[in-house]
Amino acid sequence: MNRLPAPKLFLVLALGLAALYLFPLYWMYVTSLKGSSEIFANPPTFWPNDPDPSIYPETWARRTMATFLWNSLVIATGVTSLTVLLGTGCAYVLARYRSVWIDIGLFAILMLQVLPASVMITPLYVGFNQLGLLDYPRTAVILAAAGKAIPFYIVLVRATFMSVPRELEEAALVDGNSRWGAFFFIVLPLARNGILVLAILTFMQAFGEYIYSKSIITTQSLQPASVGLSGFLGPNSTDWNGIMAYAAIYVTPIVLVFVILQRRIVAGLTSGALK
Amino acid sequence: MGRIVSSITDGKGFDLLLVGLTMVFLLALAGVPLVYNVVMSFQQVDMFNLSTFSRPFAGFSNYVEVVSQPEFWLIIRNTAIFVFGSIGGQFVFGFALALFFMLKFPFASTIRGLFLVSWVMPGLVVGALWGWILAGDFGVLNAILKGIGLIDNTMFWKSDPSLAIWAVTIANIWLGLAFNMMLLSVGLAGISQDLYEAAELDGANGFQRFSTITLPMMRSTIGAVLALGLIYTLQQFDLFPAITEGGPANSSNVAQYWAWQWSFQLFDFAKGATVSVMMLVFVLFASLVYVWSTRHEVRG
Repeated sequence: MNRLPAPKLFLVLALGLAALYLFPLYWMYVTSLKGSSEIFANPPTFWPNDPDPSIYPETWARRTMATFLWNSLVIATGVTSLTVLLGTGCAYVLARYRSVWIDIGLFAILMLQVLPASVMITPLYVGFNQLGLLDYPRTAVILAAAGKAIPFYIVLVRATFMSVPRELEEAALVDGNSRWGAFFFIVLPLARNGILVLAILTFMQAFGEYIYSKSIITTQSLQPASVGLSGFLGPNSTDWNGIMAYAAIYVTPIVLVFVILQRRIVAGLTSGALK
Repeated sequence: MGRIVSSITDGKGFDLLLVGLTMVFLLALAGVPLVYNVVMSFQQVDMFNLSTFSRPFAGFSNYVEVVSQPEFWLIIRNTAIFVFGSIGGQFVFGFALALFFMLKFPFASTIRGLFLVSWVMPGLVVGALWGWILAGDFGVLNAILKGIGLIDNTMFWKSDPSLAIWAVTIANIWLGLAFNMMLLSVGLAGISQDLYEAAELDGANGFQRFSTITLPMMRSTIGAVLALGLIYTLQQFDLFPAITEGGPANSSNVAQYWAWQWSFQLFDFAKGATVSVMMLVFVLFASLVYVWSTRHEVRG
């Protein structure tokens, strides 16, 4: 490609494409700063005439966002802890051996990874109802969402473990470590970065989880922020600057974490998904 | 007893324990519900027998009833539009962007990485953003399209029955495009640069290099990306409640949202399970294609 002499031109084009692609995010922030009459201006203004951030504290209080975000945090923390606890060891074993049984296990996990949540929610809801788990709705959502997150986590963390040299672990065993010792003190520290990135990704996904929470949690004070947003969102919404302010408060932490960890997240994702 | 303990600390028991715990969990929360779903689709389920296990056997009556609903074929058609429209859009734009970002220029991989932000955002927030962009009278998309002269009349994306499914499809293309691009970029990066140089020396032009090197070398990646696209599109749920709620009059309703409506708006769990089982057939087919195309990479 050396014949093409214009890397600067490509850079400008790339920035233009990124700006075009990220326009919805820009539009969210701009709309939230507009007054309630300016959002209906025709043609729309691409920069607010009179930026007014007062909608943020107002939306925060009126939509009880503190409660909603707290519940999102509880659910995301629960899902991530369960996923890391159960997924890491399993991914390690699946990475360490090669046999027919390992292939069968991998195949089963890949198949579980593809089940749509909208398919699983009906039997899960009926089953949870029979077990009495619906009385603990957030726990029920954590269990259901972890069942969805674990297969994805295993597939990608397994790729991380594959890159840990087997010799290091064997040396530790020869030196008199038990399997536990070798796993916790040699293998886990070496795979730390990959595990951390995938735990963060799991957390982000669980933080935005909607369908299980919407179906299982009926008490408003226990619902997460996604269900809270759906409460005033629909085909006939008009309170757009309020919705955009809510969305901005909800999504800004996720966007910030993503931008800071972008390189690692992309590397962690692509290492295992496909080569 | 001592032998079991030492096996767990130092032998096969260690591996079996780690895998076993997770497998039991996944079996309880994914495997059993999957079977239970199929069982329920052959049962008569109502609010009275919801919490018992002994329900009347219904044979194929749930399936017959679902298929004979007046909206059944409309929903099949919408699901097909949504699935093929989304996969097509995500793949074409994703591939074009992936090829563009393979060019050498400063910050290429950083800028490319920024695109993935759409993929980590909560689906409901993405739905909210597009619901506002696509709004009829005050939406910015209409204003832009009018401004550059592509349309003269206001397009009512969300309330026009012939456009509503496309409104959700556009949002889903935006949502999944970055992930497609990332996977395709990984595939492109795996093609040896020597091949292109050799072809260039032999006088092959850009199109010839693309069709005789890029496409054949990318075959398994493309297979996996398309299969994953089908899987993720059938998993997409959040955009529907956020943008159109399946309306107007089911004109943007799809199988995954319909299944949920049966169970959680009409409280007919058997019908919800029936629609789910029908969907599962497609999902399992797609996942077989996916597992087949990635079998070498996943085994490692």
